[in-house]
Amino acid sequence: MRAAGLVLLALLLAPVARAEDAQVARGRALATAGDCVACHTAPGGGDFAGGLALETPFGIIRTANLTPDKTTGIGTWSAEDFRVAMREGVRPDGMHLYPAFPYPYYARVAPADVDAIFAYLRTLKPVANAVDRDTLPFPYSIRGLMRGWNLLFLGGQPFTPDPKRSAEFNRGAYLAEGLGHCGACHTPLERFGSSNNAAYLQANRIAGWTAPNITADARLGIGAWSIEEIVAYLHTGANSTSLASGPMAEVVTHSTSQMPVEDLRAIAVYLKERGAAGAPAPAPVAPNDPAMQAGQAIFVDTCGACHGRDGAGVSGVFPRLAGNPVVVQDDPGSLARVVLGGARAAATSGAPTSPAMPAFGYRLDDRQVAAVLTYIRNAWGNAAAAVPPAAVGEMRSALVARAP
Amino acid sequence: MTRPTRRTLLSASATAALAVPVTSGKAATIAGVLPWAPNAVTPPEAVTPGGWRYFTPEEAEAIDAIVARLIPADDLGPGAKEAGCTVFIDRQLAGPYGGHDTLYMEGPFPADPLPQQGVQSQVTPRQHYRAGLAALAAYCKATFAGKGFAALDTEAQDKLLAGLESNAVKLPGADGRAFFAAVLGNTMEGFFADPVHGGNRDLAGWKLIGFPGARYDYRDVIAKPNQAYALPPVGLQGRPDWRNKP
Repeated sequence: MRAAGLVLLALLLAPVARAEDAQVARGRALATAGDCVACHTAPGGGDFAGGLALETPFGIIRTANLTPDKTTGIGTWSAEDFRVAMREGVRPDGMHLYPAFPYPYYARVAPADVDAIFAYLRTLKPVANAVDRDTLPFPYSIRGLMRGWNLLFLGGQPFTPDPKRSAEFNRGAYLAEGLGHCGACHTPLERFGSSNNAAYLQANRIAGWTAPNITADARLGIGAWSIEEIVAYLHTGANSTSLASGPMAEVVTHSTSQMPVEDLRAIAVYLKERGAAGAPAPAPVAPNDPAMQAGQAIFVDTCGACHGRDGAGVSGVFPRLAGNPVVVQDDPGSLARVVLGGARAAATSGAPTSPAMPAFGYRLDDRQVAAVLTYIRNAWGNAAAAVPPAAVGEMRSALVARAP
Repeated sequence: MTRPTRRTLLSASATAALAVPVTSGKAATIAGVLPWAPNAVTPPEAVTPGGWRYFTPEEAEAIDAIVARLIPADDLGPGAKEAGCTVFIDRQLAGPYGGHDTLYMEGPFPADPLPQQGVQSQVTPRQHYRAGLAALAAYCKATFAGKGFAALDTEAQDKLLAGLESNAVKLPGADGRAFFAAVLGNTMEGFFADPVHGGNRDLAGWKLIGFPGARYDYRDVIAKPNQAYALPPVGLQGRPDWRNKP
């Protein structure tokens, strides 16, 4: 009886849910489009409370606590402080942020949208999580160096719509080039960690994964995908060819699957119409090459049961290998990683199965993994460079080093 | 403050009741997707060749001779000895099977159990082989002028094995028929188990009977009855065609 009384009391005192402020709602949607939570949440930690270890070519950087905690988060920041951090990469205390936080992309976001994200972050529950923000080794530990970097690389140009393009294209460009920061992963980095804009969206190796070409190139990019297939991929993580795995599965789970389909469509239109870039197909490796012969035997016995002897896969469950751009990227890194350690597809309400591929690194040596990859890259009309066993060996060592 | 209506109170109480977290016990609730981790494999440990893990050299010699008569090499292919059945049995005896590690080994031990009751003996396979081989050695020594089983000619070996099987030959202090049955069963297991366990070397057993091995997918042949299956057998560790020589 007394317990029931306590429940009743709690109910009466519970705060009445307030209608969400329109700016906050917009900020939440924008933060989703930017996938802020993916980097600003550590495994097992609170959402937006930071602490995730980002692997960069320069060392590990731990991400900031974005909750409004006054000592360990951004509870004391003003909207102007947040605007400067987002657009210029500088904290209120004058310290420079590293571009692992992709502020060169966020500089393109409209100030009103930045303010909306800040308004949303202010509504989060404060989480006390002190993050060591200075983990980079010398000389990268000198944050002042970023001043010079910014002079060299920070465009800082707000997005301006192209009047010759459709409103849908411009919407997609604003999302993809700004908050979506697609290029942060999919554009190759230059020596000092800036995006090489001459090769925008033309594939990159990041955190041990290949972020493939997503220009409209028909062979290497998304050129052969219809608008609907791109939308399906972003919305559910699966389409008739591919399944999102690795970091892209996280993007789909936390960001694109939560976005309005019209926005995904706009991004698809932008990607399809903005242009194609990719090397022409090389001559395929000859079928009588020893690696192709061994690779075919391994494929038939090991991979064909799911991916099909003809590489056709099963729509939405097992990725298609024939004519799949992911298979013929210059960098076979993701392919080696997936064969060695396995992979898990994203789980979304539109594609909840989340099929997983088992690991084969325990029974295929580096030469055998290289052979089977060379085979799938050059069978069924595919054509791409043979995979050197050393590249598989490097990935194997990196996976061992990464293992917890 | 608004007074709760009967309806809101009832639905809220139901919600509160449902929201009570289940914290007792060790059961975990998995929501969303099943857990998954890279490199999560538990493959069978591959047998490493060379040496004996349980048998003495004399015991191994006797088992080699026995299995060579149970499945002899002939024009159809290698026999049990060549296929590594002695290695298979040795590694099995050295492992959890040899000690019946996963079986209930407390009493009672009925003297005459029903076949449906399965293993009811307190003797482990390790003890069974050691005692059986010692009894066989003693029998041979006494019967064949000091010779061991391996030194007999194949005709004498076959006669002795047949005698054990039919219970016509009595070993001193051991059940010869049960020992014969154990070796015969383990030899067949070694000949047809995956090569990862030490027997069925070069897939000899599977080639003999046309078993395609550890394959998962027959969609491309399922509609072709009465045609020979073209793909060679494959083990958990592959087949010779997988080798990508430098």
